[in-house]
Amino acid sequence: MRLRPGGALLAPALAGLAVVILGFAAVEVVLMIEGPAGPLWAVLLFPAYGLLYVGTGLLAWTRRPSNRMGALIVAGGFVWIVAGLPNAGIPALIAIGLIIATVPLAVVVHLLHAFPSGRLRGRASRVTVLAGYFVVLVLQAPVYLFGQGAGGPTTVLQIADRHDLAQIGHWVQWVAGAAVMVATAVILFGRLRRAEPARRRVLAPLDAYGILAVLFVPIGGIVVTNWFPEDGLELAVAQLTVMAGVPIAFVAAVLSGGFARTEEVQELGALLGAEEGRPALRAALRQVLGDDSLDLLFWVAVDPPRWVDREGVEVELPRSDPERSLAEVRLGERLVGAIVYDATLIADHELVADAARVTALALDNERLTVELLASREGLRVSRTRLIEATDAERRRIARDLHDGLQTRLVLLAMQAGSAAPEDETAAELSRGLQEAIVELRQLVDGVVPASLTERGLYAAAAELTDRMPIPVELDFEPLPAELPVGVETAGYFVVSEAFSNVVKHSRAEELHLSITRPDGALRIEVVDNGVGGAHFGGGLRGLADRVDALSGRLVVESPPGGGTRILAEVPCG
Amino acid sequence: MRVVIAEDQALMREGLALMLERDGAEVVGQAADATDLLRKVGAHRPDLVVADIRMPPRNADDGLRAALQIRAERPKIAVLLLSQHVQRSYAEELVEQGTVGVGYLLKQRVADVASFLADVHRVAAGGCVLDPEVVATMMSRPRRDDLLGRFTPRQLEVLTLMAEGRSNGAIAEQLTLTSKAVTRHVSHIYETLGLEVAEEDHRRVLAVVRYLSR
Repeated sequence: MRLRPGGALLAPALAGLAVVILGFAAVEVVLMIEGPAGPLWAVLLFPAYGLLYVGTGLLAWTRRPSNRMGALIVAGGFVWIVAGLPNAGIPALIAIGLIIATVPLAVVVHLLHAFPSGRLRGRASRVTVLAGYFVVLVLQAPVYLFGQGAGGPTTVLQIADRHDLAQIGHWVQWVAGAAVMVATAVILFGRLRRAEPARRRVLAPLDAYGILAVLFVPIGGIVVTNWFPEDGLELAVAQLTVMAGVPIAFVAAVLSGGFARTEEVQELGALLGAEEGRPALRAALRQVLGDDSLDLLFWVAVDPPRWVDREGVEVELPRSDPERSLAEVRLGERLVGAIVYDATLIADHELVADAARVTALALDNERLTVELLASREGLRVSRTRLIEATDAERRRIARDLHDGLQTRLVLLAMQAGSAAPEDETAAELSRGLQEAIVELRQLVDGVVPASLTERGLYAAAAELTDRMPIPVELDFEPLPAELPVGVETAGYFVVSEAFSNVVKHSRAEELHLSITRPDGALRIEVVDNGVGGAHFGGGLRGLADRVDALSGRLVVESPPGGGTRILAEVPCG
Repeated sequence: MRVVIAEDQALMREGLALMLERDGAEVVGQAADATDLLRKVGAHRPDLVVADIRMPPRNADDGLRAALQIRAERPKIAVLLLSQHVQRSYAEELVEQGTVGVGYLLKQRVADVASFLADVHRVAAGGCVLDPEVVATMMSRPRRDDLLGRFTPRQLEVLTLMAEGRSNGAIAEQLTLTSKAVTRHVSHIYETLGLEVAEEDHRRVLAVVRYLSR
């Protein structure tokens, strides 16, 4: 069951939890008083510090239910209480207590890394916390398996009285634990140093205290064992006390406002409200929620209602992908967009929902731009479809004429030509048919030139240059791959329209045609040295539309007296 | 004369077969696409192939490609290509691979049965035949050197017929000139264009076409 913020179940559940833990601590205290295994004031520190944690944790949990910090601190407190069990004098409880004995240290490390969001961020933190749990759970084993050392309580867990092995195990655990502590100090320090001033104020109290605490455990150990070998108890008490200070530092952080209900989301507001260097909405969300795959979708409510991405291109919602989750963004009741995020990275949907509420207005603003893009994209797509349909129709007509009518005329001419040589009517008929065939061929070539169908753009362009009255200098870059039909057709029309303009208006003496493939696109350039002053109308206008529908561009430079340059660039993707 | 015909339009294919058979040829195979053409040529080893250029499977220049392959593998098989339109580059590619027994004609030429059959015989006999229209395209291309501008109209006619693969005798007959006059025009053309002198008709087609496609 998930306890939602404001959920009716939360308060009674937490109260119940508090009662259970209090009861547990009370039993422990009674057992400790009955059979103290050391100075009573010292052994009572475990339940006392444990309850301090639990109290702080419950406070945090109530204040911000969606943040895991509270639960983590309560769990930590419980572990503290359990860790005091070896002092309770009952063998089974002693055994449990011995297994758990060092876990509070790992919990403290976890708490420090997870502050303030309750989530571990970054690989370094995750590895360090895992290593901490490994040290306290696995490396603890030799200590209870091979004995508690001279004078310590014997346990049911002991499998051999090997003081030497226990010592080695203890030493390994100590070194590894110290490494985890030092790593934690380094990471906290780095985090504090890199943080923005506002964030640093939040982090500072707990992180600073945390650095001291985690360093005190290993260093304090060395100092005390070397200089005051007799003071084992005092050292343990001092270490316990320093660790128990962590929730107090946490309370300080809470009181200084660092643990506000919407800490991340406030940060988001600050980022988006910045006067300068304001990141794009998506970048801000990615930064704050720590998910670089996070994406924004926008809801376009009109013809037809659809989801689009930031470029205005229609997209499907990732409904079927279990790793992608989606938080709808609403402005009032109106759906404006959605935040799509990695559900494995951000487990807390409520956090994204909060972010969605905070960013609704900003997203709606961005949506207006996207909506324009979308309608432009929609127009472009429908125009491309129209041109594609026209082209397909042209090709169909050309094919039908070529295969059907033309063949039929040739056959008829053949029949007429097979008649007796002296049959004048048949000869006349044959000539007439041949003229019709030539006309038909020219008609078909005007629809879609046969050379384009059979040999592609270069052959068709070369064919066009043959018919020019002036020499054409050609610069063809070999095609790396076949061109899409639409691109090829557009390319052909660019060349043929440019050429026909040259013939009609330019009075040019030199003409240069280059067809190249920069970055896989198609680039056609026609340059003449004629009189210039070409009008961007009629044929060129239609050509520009065709090129534009393919997301390309057509540039016409034609200063009076300065020749004409027509450049078309069409992407082939 | 054993012939394989390749043409995807069935009526046209039948018409061609009928015409060639009436003329005394033996049509040993009829193919409807380029793949089938290659198979039938391999099976029948004909003397002559008459093929359409645009054919399945790609419906592009498949017939030409098949013809070039046949010529490369079996240069002895004569090939006559037909097309509904002429393309200069097709003619160039064809003659570059060899001018013995090749032809490239517009499909509508079959209407003039007698002259079409004469062309078929010339190709089968090792001659080279290019359609007047493709030669006209070559002649009318704009060129920088303008050497053709130095020729008289008569000389241009002679040059055109040379490019079409006509012999001196045929040129003389068609232009009603003496063979001496034709020889004079031809050598003047060679000199002006700086062409290597080639006695055989099919060789001089290559020289002229190379010059014209420059």
